[in-house]
Amino acid sequence: MSAKENVEPSSLDPAAKAELDRAFEDLYRAHLRDVYSYAYYRVGNQHDAEDLTEQAFLQAYRHFDRARRESDGRPLRPWLIRIAHNLASNYYRDRSRRPQTSLETADPIAARHGTEAIAEGREELRQVMAKLEKLPDDRRDVLIMRFALGMDNREIARALGRSDGATKVLIHRAIKQLQEEMGIDAE
Amino acid sequence: MTPSEPAREPLGSWNVEQLLTDALRPLEPPERLSGRLEDTLSAVTQAAAEELSDWAEELSESELRALRDPRNWVRPVFAVGAGGAAAGALVILELRRRGRQQAKGGLRSLAGRVKP
Repeated sequence: MSAKENVEPSSLDPAAKAELDRAFEDLYRAHLRDVYSYAYYRVGNQHDAEDLTEQAFLQAYRHFDRARRESDGRPLRPWLIRIAHNLASNYYRDRSRRPQTSLETADPIAARHGTEAIAEGREELRQVMAKLEKLPDDRRDVLIMRFALGMDNREIARALGRSDGATKVLIHRAIKQLQEEMGIDAE
Repeated sequence: MTPSEPAREPLGSWNVEQLLTDALRPLEPPERLSGRLEDTLSAVTQAAAEELSDWAEELSESELRALRDPRNWVRPVFAVGAGGAAAGALVILELRRRGRQQAKGGLRSLAGRVKP
């Protein structure tokens, strides 16, 4: 990847830049797992998930100063996930593809990660993953954010650039669709 | 179902949210990804810092070089020359305009003198 081409040199003075780099390192350490998990569940294989995670953090680094100034102290996780979300969308658009194999039956590398619980013989988990992959993108995304990353409605709304209300409805519909497709009684 | 297989609950009794929680577990990134990312980011920050200092050094050196290079003197000399020529042309135009006005005034006065 041409990482260096994508990152503009900072115009900050050295002390401010060092402080910014430290803050970015904290952000990176706090959210590497979130970005990677999101990327993995979106693209369905470890190799592309790693590339996507790397690109997301490089892009985040490039705009970190501005994001921090404009966040007014709000958490930056939704912003990071939004970057990963946009990159994942471009990933499909550029390569005209969607995950062709289910997460758990993909290549052996993916199988190592993918839903370890499935290895425990949980047929239901295999089913839920298979159905999840067939959901419309926006519904699948909100479920990944909610359940893999533990994001609340407000965070998801910020990550997707939607209102809180619209996000709540989207999550509700995604769960309902999954229930229906799996033949699970709504409680 | 063979006797050795675990009894499976019918799907109808499952809570889909619980299934999603179990299925979509957060994933630990591979060790090599952390290493790769840290290397890339430190390379990028280093490159940015170097570019910044190189840029500053190049700028002052190039400025000095430009000042010393006689080829770069042509442009200011040409600009002064062009400005002088333009000013001269304006002076000539103004003199011509005044000359025409004087000629018109001369004809009018001549005509006045000719009329009875």
